[in-house]
Amino acid sequence: MGSVAKDSAGDFGRHVPALSSALRPHPDDELREWGGSRLVRGKRVLDLGCGDGRLALGVARFATRVEGIDPDPEAIAAAKRNARKAGVRNVHFAAGAAQHLPYPDAAFDLVILSWTL
Amino acid sequence: MVDALVEIHRVLAPGGILVDARPDSRVPAYVERRKPRGFQRFGVVNTSRLELVNDRASDQAITRVVREGLFKRRRSGRFWHRVPFSDLAELRRYLWEHLRFVHRAEWVVDVATRRRHAKDQFVIRRAVRYELLEALRSPRKLSPA
Repeated sequence: MGSVAKDSAGDFGRHVPALSSALRPHPDDELREWGGSRLVRGKRVLDLGCGDGRLALGVARFATRVEGIDPDPEAIAAAKRNARKAGVRNVHFAAGAAQHLPYPDAAFDLVILSWTL
Repeated sequence: MVDALVEIHRVLAPGGILVDARPDSRVPAYVERRKPRGFQRFGVVNTSRLELVNDRASDQAITRVVREGLFKRRRSGRFWHRVPFSDLAELRRYLWEHLRFVHRAEWVVDVATRRRHAKDQFVIRRAVRYELLEALRSPRKLSPA
């Protein structure tokens, strides 16, 4: 796909590698549409189908903790790299399937299915 | 999909929120040329048949878990998102490789106009829809599909 640029109109000309997350809205834009940071603030969040961690890392600064899960181990490896690079400490990523979530009952206040279902 | 939604309900605290956000295939996407001020529509891009089927299946799964009392619909909406491209050739490559859309746009401008502006910046403007669903405390047992 070459050099598809970052996603919002204001990001014209800032080209990034062709990761799928580069084609999606910026996490801040998505969160604003859903109701803003109050939706996430102080919450335990699960990002299901987290991919390379785009959204999980984007909401982490508001949340108490964020878990990201994705069936693709390579995406999880990328998410972990991105978390380290961003210095985000309240996010944990794991490979897994949505049908068998490795979490206890009532473990989360918010579950995000962003471009997943 | 229903299995996954039931599992999501299990890990959500009562009153917790599920956000379901995805491209809105009920409306077409648009190819637009970026102008100094605003955008000029060049074409329409439809969602591929396979993705339409998948989206309908997702809708049906959500409808079912709502009907069965696992979730209550709280709020929904739609917003538009622009995916930018350096030029028309890059946009065409994207359409060719991307599975969500049909591979060719339906142009609303003539060939000469497309050639004249082929090196301009373009976007695909597409709709994203979202829904917030609240996890209910005491769901009834799911009936067979």
